[in-house]
Amino acid sequence: MTLTKEFLKGLYKENPVFRLMLGLCPVLATSTSVNNAIGMGSATLFVLLSSNIVVSLIRKAVPGKIRIPVFIIVIATFVTIVEMVMAGFFPALSKSLGNFISLIVVNCIILGRAEAFASKNSVFRSILDGLGMGLGFALAMIIIATFREILGNGTWLGIPVLGESFNPITIFILSPGAFLTIGYLIGFFNWFESRRLAGK
Amino acid sequence: MERSLRISPSPHIKDAESVTRIMYMVVLALIPAGVWGVYIFGTQALWVIVVSILAAMGSEFLFAKMMKRPVRVFDGSAVITGILLAYNVPAEVPLWLPAIGAVVGVGIGKMTFGGLGYNPLNPALVGRAFLMASWPASMTIFKTAPAGLSLSGIDVVTSATPLNVFKASREILANSGAHTAEEVTQATQTISELYNANAALFFGKVGGCIGETSVLLLLIGAVFLMYKRVIGWKIPFSYIGTVIILTWIFGGTEGLFSGNPLFHILSGGLILGAFFMATDMVTSPVTFKGRIIFGIGCGVLTVVIRLWGGYPEGVSYSILLMNLTTPLLDRFTKPTPFGGKE
Amino acid sequence: MKDIPHFALVLTVVACFSAGSLAWLNTITRPRIIAQQQQELDAGIMQVLPGSENGVIKAVENDGTVSFYKGYRNADSTSLIGYAFLIAPQGYSSNIRTIVGIDSSCSRVLSIKVLSQKETPGLGTKCEEIRSGETAPWFQEQFRNKPYADLILDKDGGTIESITGATITSRAIMLGVASRMELLRDELDIPNTMIN
Repeated sequence: MTLTKEFLKGLYKENPVFRLMLGLCPVLATSTSVNNAIGMGSATLFVLLSSNIVVSLIRKAVPGKIRIPVFIIVIATFVTIVEMVMAGFFPALSKSLGNFISLIVVNCIILGRAEAFASKNSVFRSILDGLGMGLGFALAMIIIATFREILGNGTWLGIPVLGESFNPITIFILSPGAFLTIGYLIGFFNWFESRRLAGK
Repeated sequence: MERSLRISPSPHIKDAESVTRIMYMVVLALIPAGVWGVYIFGTQALWVIVVSILAAMGSEFLFAKMMKRPVRVFDGSAVITGILLAYNVPAEVPLWLPAIGAVVGVGIGKMTFGGLGYNPLNPALVGRAFLMASWPASMTIFKTAPAGLSLSGIDVVTSATPLNVFKASREILANSGAHTAEEVTQATQTISELYNANAALFFGKVGGCIGETSVLLLLIGAVFLMYKRVIGWKIPFSYIGTVIILTWIFGGTEGLFSGNPLFHILSGGLILGAFFMATDMVTSPVTFKGRIIFGIGCGVLTVVIRLWGGYPEGVSYSILLMNLTTPLLDRFTKPTPFGGKE
Repeated sequence: MKDIPHFALVLTVVACFSAGSLAWLNTITRPRIIAQQQQELDAGIMQVLPGSENGVIKAVENDGTVSFYKGYRNADSTSLIGYAFLIAPQGYSSNIRTIVGIDSSCSRVLSIKVLSQKETPGLGTKCEEIRSGETAPWFQEQFRNKPYADLILDKDGGTIESITGATITSRAIMLGVASRMELLRDELDIPNTMIN
């Protein structure tokens, strides 16, 4: 696989949310506004990239039988770093994301990439993989949050876009709205993919 | 229909029944209650019903076209969805509300899953739940019935359904320490007035959603459908029976076994729900035992929501929840064929 | 079994690195986090005790924890404005952290401010809603200069307009304010006659 492809695969072809369907819990819970999605997306991107680098660096020193606890310690360390930095420097964001930051530890996509990719590949490739996957995850969150925030609150990134007369469809910022949005988006991408393959 | 739906070994009997004929019989059975709704709530109620039906049919057409499926706008199922949705909203809602509810009910609740027969949930109730979660304020403003028809002694401007009043009074009594003696006396009096208002509740001289008020007219429709064997007795009777028993045991304000089940049957959407929505053929079990369990489940959930939940009324949510158990109920209660082994 | 010491060594090294780096980072972020929380609290107290911006705020401790705050109009703390306290009554789906300022005789609410809550979006969250053309949340503004005896929701025959569809939230805030006021009165030994 070429290096460009290694990076690009996470954006669409193996998008964690829409194609691999990994790490859906934080996506469902924190995509209520674009602001939260950017915050959560960048936190995940940072953790994914850092854990990929470290896991790839120590991959030869870690015995196979204890790799999972080692990976989890590495991931938990980076998550705690994000949590502390966010609470110290971005208190508003830290407040609205709440416990979901700490839950990045158990986000399948991070351990998934550590186990399936970083523990078997060079540092450089792992960086590309982490960047691609992390950006794909953040992008997916922003797309979902765009629908939810506009429909459910009438705003995008906090800016009113649908005017005063719009009566927000509150369900979209509640949990059923998260399932509806993500379901229809996955449906759309499946349909798009099948059309693309049929055209080939 | 009841008989032909029972799972049994061949030979099967073919009949002249068709989906369309059944659907229009249900529509016919629902008309009296709607006429009454328009009579007491005014022409606004009529517009809500019309908009809801048109939106349901329109979205059925559009979604079928979009998905390149056969268009079956006139098979009656969209009409029923439209009517049931309108019957489950207050008459005072702005007209775009039932329109969105119908589009969501048909589009998300039914067509997304593949159209009639594949929907796991009752489409009208999906629409209602969507509206309830999105615009709870508009969905809970109830018009009092016109002067001379209103329930005696109850003077409330908004939220004037008997169940709302009941719940508020019951909460005061359950928590009498936090309220003045005057409030407690008033709450006791309100509840006894509600208990004595059976006639008004039965004939539908009360506030509520458009189609749920008149128990008498709903029952006429239900008897007609039962006589025509479009709906069975198992779900409605086990549903209402469960509500009777549980509200009698737990519904009272003076300890166990002091409840008034009659009030709970006659008020709210129980009759509409039990006979017309819980019995939906697509979303309810087909087996004998499955239907009984389905009815009991709806009854338990309704009483739990009414007595201890956050909402005064729980019929629609309990039916939706039990709809989800239908595939499981069917699987676990499948009768063993003759000669077959366990 | 031979591997066990090896495994333990690897895990220990990794854990030490992790703990070390976190401990180092903590020395940087911890003071900031504490300062942030203090700042949020101070700003809240100043807002609910109008006039305290140029004065001082003193925390009053009870059994080692801060019970309430005293706000003074001037820096030498002689002119008392009133008291402020934090409440976190259970609303519909969250604890509504609210800071409340009351006058020095404990008979009147000066102002309240909801600091954080996770109520139902579109319903309970309206306790922080600012209507267009206004500058402060309308629900909280209703508490401004409200005598203790008037802390009653419209649904219970009072004058505080409850949030449509969110009576539980409205009532939780109202009762939280009223009951903490009563407690404070006991704490300060202010007789009931002054209230009623």
